[in-house]
Amino acid sequence: MENSILLQELKSKFEKSILSVDETADILTVTVAADSIKPIVAFLKNDQDFIYLTDLCGIHYPELEKELGVIYHLHNLVANKRIRLKAFVTKANPQIDSLVSLFSAANWMERETFDFYGIDFVGHPNLIRILNVEYMDYHPMRKEYPLEDATRSDKDDSFFGR
Amino acid sequence: MSENKDKTYTVVDAPEGYSAPGFFATTLDKAVGLARKNSLWPLPFATSCCGIEFMATMGAHYDLGRFGAERLSFSPRQADLLMVMGTIAKKMAPVVQQVYEQMAEPRWVIAVGACASSGGVFDTYSVLQGIDKVVPVDVYVPGCPPRPEQIIDGFMKIQELVGNEPLRRRYSAEYKELLESYGIKIDR
Amino acid sequence: MKTINSEHHLDLTQVDEKVYSTLNLGPTHPATHGIFQNVLTMNGETIVGAEQTIGYIHRAFEKIAERRPYYQITTLTDRLNYCSSPINNIGWHLAVEKLLGVETNKRVDYMRIIVMELARIADHLVCNSVIGVDSGALTGFVYVFEEREAIYEIYEELCGARLTTNLGRVGGFDRDFSPLAIQKIRTLMKRLPKILHEFENLLMRNRIFMDRTVNVGGISAERALNYGFSGPNLRATGIDYDVRVQEPYSSYNDFDFIVPVGENGDIYDRFCVRQTEMWESIKMINTALENLPEGKFCTEVPAFFLPPKEDVYSKMEPLISHFKMVMGEIDVPEKEIYSAVEAGNGELGFYLVADGGRTPYRLHFRRPGFIYYQAFPEIIEGASLSDAILTMSSMNVIAGELDA
Repeated sequence: MENSILLQELKSKFEKSILSVDETADILTVTVAADSIKPIVAFLKNDQDFIYLTDLCGIHYPELEKELGVIYHLHNLVANKRIRLKAFVTKANPQIDSLVSLFSAANWMERETFDFYGIDFVGHPNLIRILNVEYMDYHPMRKEYPLEDATRSDKDDSFFGR
Repeated sequence: MSENKDKTYTVVDAPEGYSAPGFFATTLDKAVGLARKNSLWPLPFATSCCGIEFMATMGAHYDLGRFGAERLSFSPRQADLLMVMGTIAKKMAPVVQQVYEQMAEPRWVIAVGACASSGGVFDTYSVLQGIDKVVPVDVYVPGCPPRPEQIIDGFMKIQELVGNEPLRRRYSAEYKELLESYGIKIDR
Repeated sequence: MKTINSEHHLDLTQVDEKVYSTLNLGPTHPATHGIFQNVLTMNGETIVGAEQTIGYIHRAFEKIAERRPYYQITTLTDRLNYCSSPINNIGWHLAVEKLLGVETNKRVDYMRIIVMELARIADHLVCNSVIGVDSGALTGFVYVFEEREAIYEIYEELCGARLTTNLGRVGGFDRDFSPLAIQKIRTLMKRLPKILHEFENLLMRNRIFMDRTVNVGGISAERALNYGFSGPNLRATGIDYDVRVQEPYSSYNDFDFIVPVGENGDIYDRFCVRQTEMWESIKMINTALENLPEGKFCTEVPAFFLPPKEDVYSKMEPLISHFKMVMGEIDVPEKEIYSAVEAGNGELGFYLVADGGRTPYRLHFRRPGFIYYQAFPEIIEGASLSDAILTMSSMNVIAGELDA
């Protein structure tokens, strides 16, 4: 399966939604508008045989206007072709469609992304924290939060040059 | 084979005491301690990598059964020794404390591995920085993960503590104060 | 259940209403081999529904990875699937090599294959013997653990550690295989077939074992793909997806091996797939040992490969590169990659975004166990409790990998 054919198919269907294409990366990378992620993935799954959702994760670029991103890796097992989709949302309105109705695998991956980045997957059946404690009041993978436990008092930071 | 015949094997060493033909006298503390330390029932609270090394410790090669601890008690009610092996996240901390509360006196705790002792390499928002934040610990075993020999060494340290513990210790005011400092209820 | 109303007459309107009981399995249940919590809704002995809670050993790996130089992340990968840490280590090295565009020589590739296949054997030995334990046969477990101990001794000879190996470096290994290590591997490869045969004789055609496992805990190929299954669990359903074949890394394409597949995706098929994979691993290790190419045990990646210690103490250039590497002052290209390896229980992927700095900008681990464990409630619905325990151990879910 050639990149150009796949891109042509995608562009003919979703011309307005495809924001940028990067063919230099190891996997064909397409950045799409957040509101059209579900129809694009559905098209890839049903018409192009990308039946395997390899991975779904979040990313945070504080300097961008749309800070939070969701990155999807899909795999066409027959043609052995991978594709990477990216969709970005703002921190104020981090809504994006859930893929649970297409891939059962997306369920926990989306919950993890919500837990880490606070991205709201619209239509997810059970969007609650998965790895962290329920009473946690922030999304720890966002860049502004520290790695260390902020409540720790037994450590003298001056020894660590901080 | 013949040279082995002269060897004498002692299962346990007799405590200090007075003996003459027909009798042996020692303190009650020591007799009870001797019995206790050679029949500890561990509760393996294994969460991650150290638990796998504990499996090796229990296996035929290292065989913790030689120390009278082959009977694992998965129910805290019948356990004497809580062996916490692996990372304890903040989500898990109340569970550790609850398991400790469910154990009957006298009870001992051994923190196996760097994570259980101090949080280890995981100085993060989600990891409890050592189980001594929630339960009192008797012996710490360093290592990430410790080798089975080290786990056995830690176990022998516990045996030493158990053997030398006065019977009154668990009724003392200091002990009650210790438990209260962890917020652990005392049923007696 | 029958209920009696206040006048002590049988209330016939409620006779047929089912009353379900709730059973809390975990997080410290002896039968679950790890920290998993399942709140089961039971109708007698039959499971009606299950609600999973995970995260009991969440250690924030991905956040730590954003604060550590590349070579320090190897220690994190150890603690993902700790039953087969060398595969994770080498998977991470391969990911960094892909980022840097480094090609390793054949000797490194073959050495890696030997180590990875040893780790796969260790992983499968644990999983399959635990299936035995949960179906009531402790003997096999105690027996094959001796062989796993032998594999640990080989790791020790290679890198000094038993379990969390931190094995190898970016670009190869920190030292060559010692003659003793090669001898130990050869001895094990001679002995292991006999042990595996005995283990299979004990279980594979055992009436009790087959009754407990055939057509129990199965999943269809379609559902498995939808759930993102990978590794032996996916192959047991009949899908021959193996990363080693689909996207050969580390010269796996030089080797001739079978990818075993099952039919029903049940516990017995998973068991057999793992068993066959061990036989294939033994063949691969033997072939790799016989054809071990000449060459250096590492590729020169100056920014990542620590120079030999004697050079650091006596020469200027190695000292500088040693210092730069330890302080993380290295140049990496600004790009993103996805690199996957076939770990003991599935496709272990590394999605790495580099911004040119000393640490990754973002590193996401695709943990196979995390993705396929969510199918557990669907698989065990309608099964009995004892079958659920067996299903869980046959899925080879490792808590460290699940919670990251």
